Amino acid sequence: MVVKSATAEKPATAEELARRLHEAAEAGLAVFPVGAGRAAQMGDPPAREGIELRTTALDRVLEHSQADMVVSVEAGIALEALQAELGKSGQFLPVDPFNSPGHTIGGLLASGWTGPLRLRYGSPRDFLIGIRVALPDGRLVSAGGRVVKNVSGYDLMKLHYGALGTLGVIVAASFKVFPKPLMDVTVESTHESVHEAWVAAERVLAMPMAPAAVELFPNGRVLARFLGSPEATKRMVAELGWKKADAAAWDLHSKAAPARWARIAMPRHQLRSIVDNLGSDQQWWASPGIGIANWSVAGDADDVRRVRAAAAAAGGSVVLLAGPTEFRHDAGAWGTPPATLHLMRRLRSAFDPNQVINPGRFVV
Amino acid sequence: MALEKAVIEELRRAVGREHVIDSKNDLRIFERDASIEGAVPDAVVLPANTAEVSSVIRVAAKHRIPIVPRGAGTGLSGGAVTIHGGIALQVTRMRRILEIDPIAQTALVEPGVVNQELSLAAAAHKLFYAPDPSSQKACTIGGNAAENSGGPHCLYYGVTTNHVLGMEVVFADGSVHWVSGDSPDRIGLDLCGVLVGSEGTLCAITKIKVRLLRTPPSVATLLAAFPTIEAASQAVSAVIGSGIVPAALEMMDQVCVGAVEAHYHAGYPTDAGAVLLVEVDGIPESTIELMAAVRAVLSQNQGYAMREAQSPAERDLLWAGRKGAIGALGRIKPNYYLHDGVVPRSKLPQILSAVGEIGIHYKLPVANVFHAGDGNLHPNILFDLRERDVLPQVESAGEEMLRAVVELGGALSGEHGIGLEKSAFMPWVYSADDLDAMQRVKVALDAHGIMNPGKIFPDPKRKHAQLAGRTGLAIEAKWW
Ligand SMILES: Cc1cc2nc3c(=O)[nH]c(=O)nc-3n(C[C@H](O)[C@H](O)[C@H](O)COP(=O)(O)OP(=O)(O)OC[C@H]3O[C@@H](n4cnc5c(N)ncnc54)[C@H](O)[C@@H]3O)c2cc1C
Repeated sequence: MVVKSATAEKPATAEELARRLHEAAEAGLAVFPVGAGRAAQMGDPPAREGIELRTTALDRVLEHSQADMVVSVEAGIALEALQAELGKSGQFLPVDPFNSPGHTIGGLLASGWTGPLRLRYGSPRDFLIGIRVALPDGRLVSAGGRVVKNVSGYDLMKLHYGALGTLGVIVAASFKVFPKPLMDVTVESTHESVHEAWVAAERVLAMPMAPAAVELFPNGRVLARFLGSPEATKRMVAELGWKKADAAAWDLHSKAAPARWARIAMPRHQLRSIVDNLGSDQQWWASPGIGIANWSVAGDADDVRRVRAAAAAAGGSVVLLAGPTEFRHDAGAWGTPPATLHLMRRLRSAFDPNQVINPGRFVV
Repeated sequence: MALEKAVIEELRRAVGREHVIDSKNDLRIFERDASIEGAVPDAVVLPANTAEVSSVIRVAAKHRIPIVPRGAGTGLSGGAVTIHGGIALQVTRMRRILEIDPIAQTALVEPGVVNQELSLAAAAHKLFYAPDPSSQKACTIGGNAAENSGGPHCLYYGVTTNHVLGMEVVFADGSVHWVSGDSPDRIGLDLCGVLVGSEGTLCAITKIKVRLLRTPPSVATLLAAFPTIEAASQAVSAVIGSGIVPAALEMMDQVCVGAVEAHYHAGYPTDAGAVLLVEVDGIPESTIELMAAVRAVLSQNQGYAMREAQSPAERDLLWAGRKGAIGALGRIKPNYYLHDGVVPRSKLPQILSAVGEIGIHYKLPVANVFHAGDGNLHPNILFDLRERDVLPQVESAGEEMLRAVVELGGALSGEHGIGLEKSAFMPWVYSADDLDAMQRVKVALDAHGIMNPGKIFPDPKRKHAQLAGRTGLAIEAKWW
């Protein structure tokens, strides 16, 4: 555990969490919200010590309306528990983050972690329809609602998504959920060279029915998933001519979690050139349809800086998702901040003027 | 309140003499959008590029004059109305499609580009821009981004915010910034996400980078009749409940169908209580299978007289009826007040019967034409402005309909925005603290409140919501 904490608490209700947050803020203490701790090493090392507020006692499904395909949950519920509930009515939340299982919903929203299915469904940014957060002044505020289309006021969901809790501790969220696909087929192929694998990945991506996920590995393996109506899926698989793979391959893949972990995000067509230059001794996997590669850094901060400079020059970024404190400290978790940093700081100040939540960890 | 001569001169220097309008008569043209309330701006400026937008906003900032971005003025919630006077920033001279990148499948456009122009330009590359508001022949991409607009095909493809990759914007101090871009992950807070849908109250949008999608090789469009609105609503839930999310799933009631048929002769069944227009797309195998499944579900739910478009021309005709429905309603009464609200899909039968009763109570004809798959209803109140005292009646009826929407756990707007029209109702769905959170964002990005003042937030200077406090199912159920 990298977050150094004087104490850890597990509030039983959102109100209690908000109260403890407020008390800590009043006492000048920092607060580190923690779900399951799957992304505990994300970001820069914390600037100061404080208390941990664990959300895992807030683990209820508040409401699942099957007919409306909308679900509201507390932030501490584990993704798998939510999927089990949704699965009873043939529905699911299309998020398949790495370092699974165990992610809490709040943690996923705060960290913005995604997985292969983002290719087809987008990220939770696209299907998060309501949110409730606790602010350091003790208030609980909501935005959005429980309908799938809503333009009533500012879209604050977007601001909280991926903000690492810096604008408020997420205590509950509502999502648009999806029907399980009529057919779900996984295929794979292994190629002589990684070059051929990239070519093969582009071929799958260009199929008339787009794949739902495509993952590429340095050993030349490409894993692809087609979701859709039975005949259509069958035709794609036949045209592609790859061998069927067990769907369990995705579960296995989702467990991936390098100890020194960097996420490379690029405009899709720039991804390969960055990955090609990582060096042949490096381990990684890529989502070529999304423009993301996950890199297991076998090197030091200089390597991160080198790749980051190339990525930034091509319009992308390299963010550290895990690693020892010194490593993250040396390399910096986020890289050069955007030119709008002053505006982000003003937003942060508007909600957390004294940097109570996760001080030092995020960009602002 | 006219602007001082010196200010007008500054504006002229910013955009060129002929691109500032300040004569009383000409200003009247910019009094309104497509909603029912209006106010004449003090000046209209027509910048040609980002630098000019920035100069204009600097002038406004210096003198603390309200500045209201304006696209095509098709907005239905009064967003572009200069209710506190000031400058209308008319961006329609900025209407170039700067780039279509068929490999990256993106387009970079100026804010004044008309939605349909982008669709046509993308079509040349076998690509399309998914958000397709019914006003697409006129409305601008800048307006779409500012309102986070939707359209029939947003059921499957998502609304504007899901398709905007990044934007160049000018903030209230005149500074120009890019927010987000082509990379899937940004660094820091998602400014782009909160600016989309901010209705011109946080920034002026000067460039928009959008995602384009591959045109599906096959499309199937089906029209189905139902004896009642309730049956059609049931069928909507049943289709989606069966695991199929069609590309579009639209409903029209009998009033609407009658008007559309008289106008377009598209073969809409005028005896039906309601019709559904269902579209699925994909590869041929997929559309065939999905359409067969849809047909089966519709038949089980009292669907009849099902007709599938046999040619692109027939498909266009069916859609012309849907997209032109509002215009066709002019046959019944010359004026309309098109409302917008969203309920959880399963509440459609309840809300539609409530809407019907409200219409009867006020003796106003109501036509429903809407995005049923999303639960996004559009009751359209028909009236004749020449009838004495009709407008307050129309407004009250609309307010009651909205109230019913909120009481069923719904939202004030699915796509038309809050603007001027609904700002007083915001406390129906948000607590004072919730609204304060939004206000913090506003103040952080526009400290002096010059960007489109009087919108979104309840305006103390204007009428108050009669019923304050959080209401509706969400609160009753104490789900959070
Ligand atoms: C017949 C009819 C059918 C419609 N159908 C639909 C529909 O299906 N779906 C839907 O979502 N809407 C629909 N609308 C509403 C309307 O067309 C949309 O809201 C549209 O996006 C508005 O675009 P506009 O260019 O006309 O914007 P305007 O009306 O000019 O402005 C709308 C708002 O956007 C702001 N704005 C405009 N340009 C900018 C900019 N460059 N930067 C910052 N802010 C800006 C304005 O300040 C204002 O608040 C319909 C309207 C009509 C009249």
